[in-house]
Amino acid sequence: MFSFVRFLSKIAIRIPLLLWSVVVIYPILWMAIGSFRTNAEIYASPWSLPETFNIENFFLAWTDFNIGTAFLNSMTVTVVGTFLCLVLAIPTSYALEKLRFKGSDILFNTYISSMMIPAVLGWIPLFFLLMRMNLLDNLLALSLVYAISQVPFTIFILTSFMGNVPRELEEAAAIDGMSPYGVLLKIVTPLVKSGIITASILNAVSFWNEYFMALILIQTDSKNTLGVQMDLLATNAQYSSAWGVLFAGLTIAVVPVIIFYALFQRHITKGMTEGAVKG
Amino acid sequence: MVQSKKQKYLFLAFCLLPTFILFLVFTVYPMVNGLYLSFFEWSGSSAVKDFIGLDNYKKLFNDSVIPKTIFNDYFFVFTKVIGIMLLALFFAVALTQLRIKEAPFYRVVFFFPNIMSIVVIGILWQFIFDPDIGIINGLLTSIGLESWTRPWLGSMEWALPSLVLPAIWAGIGLFMLLLMGGIMNVSKSLYESAEIDGASEWQQFWKITVPLIWPQIKTSIIYIVITSLNGSFVLVQVMTNGGPGNATEVMGSYLYEKAFEDFQFGYGAAIGVLILVVSLVTVLILQFILKREKVEH
Repeated sequence: MFSFVRFLSKIAIRIPLLLWSVVVIYPILWMAIGSFRTNAEIYASPWSLPETFNIENFFLAWTDFNIGTAFLNSMTVTVVGTFLCLVLAIPTSYALEKLRFKGSDILFNTYISSMMIPAVLGWIPLFFLLMRMNLLDNLLALSLVYAISQVPFTIFILTSFMGNVPRELEEAAAIDGMSPYGVLLKIVTPLVKSGIITASILNAVSFWNEYFMALILIQTDSKNTLGVQMDLLATNAQYSSAWGVLFAGLTIAVVPVIIFYALFQRHITKGMTEGAVKG
Repeated sequence: MVQSKKQKYLFLAFCLLPTFILFLVFTVYPMVNGLYLSFFEWSGSSAVKDFIGLDNYKKLFNDSVIPKTIFNDYFFVFTKVIGIMLLALFFAVALTQLRIKEAPFYRVVFFFPNIMSIVVIGILWQFIFDPDIGIINGLLTSIGLESWTRPWLGSMEWALPSLVLPAIWAGIGLFMLLLMGGIMNVSKSLYESAEIDGASEWQQFWKITVPLIWPQIKTSIIYIVITSLNGSFVLVQVMTNGGPGNATEVMGSYLYEKAFEDFQFGYGAAIGVLILVVSLVTVLILQFILKREKVEH
């Protein structure tokens, strides 16, 4: 009797979990299936499976609707932005955590408190600043802006990892005649690899998905990132009803994220549960 | 370390200066300039900005759309905090305390929407709500509730509540993980001794879990509030563009509309300042409300 009650309660507790799994998975699956359907099939019923898996939608999205170009643009800003952010944040984190100097606390707090201020406030001046510098409509400038926007967060993560690097290692290397530059690059940086990966995963995901700064700072269609191009495609589809193509575009945008997640899932969830935010 | 003072300062400068200069130029300057711009009238094209003192702020107070946007922002804040915290807390407890074998599966699935692009999420949910081909109306029709079907995003009353669903859908995973981290740090012996004392699971939840993970709960709530006030306009922009009418307009989307569509950059900047003030005040009040005696382990 007791075990039967236990069995029932085990089922009961799973009902909400299963329901929410369906709520998460089904729309994504629906989108993926929709990308193989023709418009007629989509209109016939929201549930139907495609009669044949035609991949024409993907070709149309990739070429005619510039998702291919946008995909490469997004790759560029993601890779360049993530790399630049590390170049900017690693030396600062090292100095803030390990070299303790007058004002290091103030500088650290300046970076951290800037995260509280809504970025929207700065977007109008940023637009005109880049215009004056002739850097509007420039993917590398966008990458730089992305990188700097995530510098405070990256410093926040990296300083907590730098704290665990034993001082003896740095001192030993210095006694062997290594310059402080060498110590930073060859001793400390490899030792905070785990922090670098955690921060970079989150940075890369946010750059890949960013929409508003790209909307404001990029002006030529051929330089649009995926987010902006998808939005354009969606607006277009309202008039042309090219739903299948739109679904294909969405799928193209999501697939790299799924692959990335599959590769780093353990690291992401572990970093989040054990990670920086201890309250 | 044997090195001269000069070398030491040079190294310090090498580490700090380039980053700090770029931070000043691309983060601090735009924010300060945003404040400054809010005292001017400026169409963006002319070189001359007209100083108009507090006129933008007077306009702000008399603009009938502004209260609507603040209301809508708070609507998102409240519904998101309640929806996300209830579900995230339930999932976090279920996945850590109840010995579910396939817990990692749920954890992986529930977090996934957090790393999807908000644009993709917005477009996808536009379809889910679509009156003709959407899942929701399809579902209602198939279970015989055809009278409940409606053009969700096109309806004055339903557009705003409809936007909350994707916002919760996209947000839960992160907070679930944060809370799971908190729960896993609570020592098992506390639950064991509570069980010996005859405390029910419900009592254990209220008397042990909630007080001990209060720091994580507080962090999560504040984080939801800040990101909602500063970022919910992206979903609005993608899904409804603030419409129908101004039914779903929030402060951020109104700023974009005024600045980058109507070219009233000074007024847009004033809305930016409003967003800053509203979020700072809200966070301060929240810190006060959520203050609670620290429980020692």
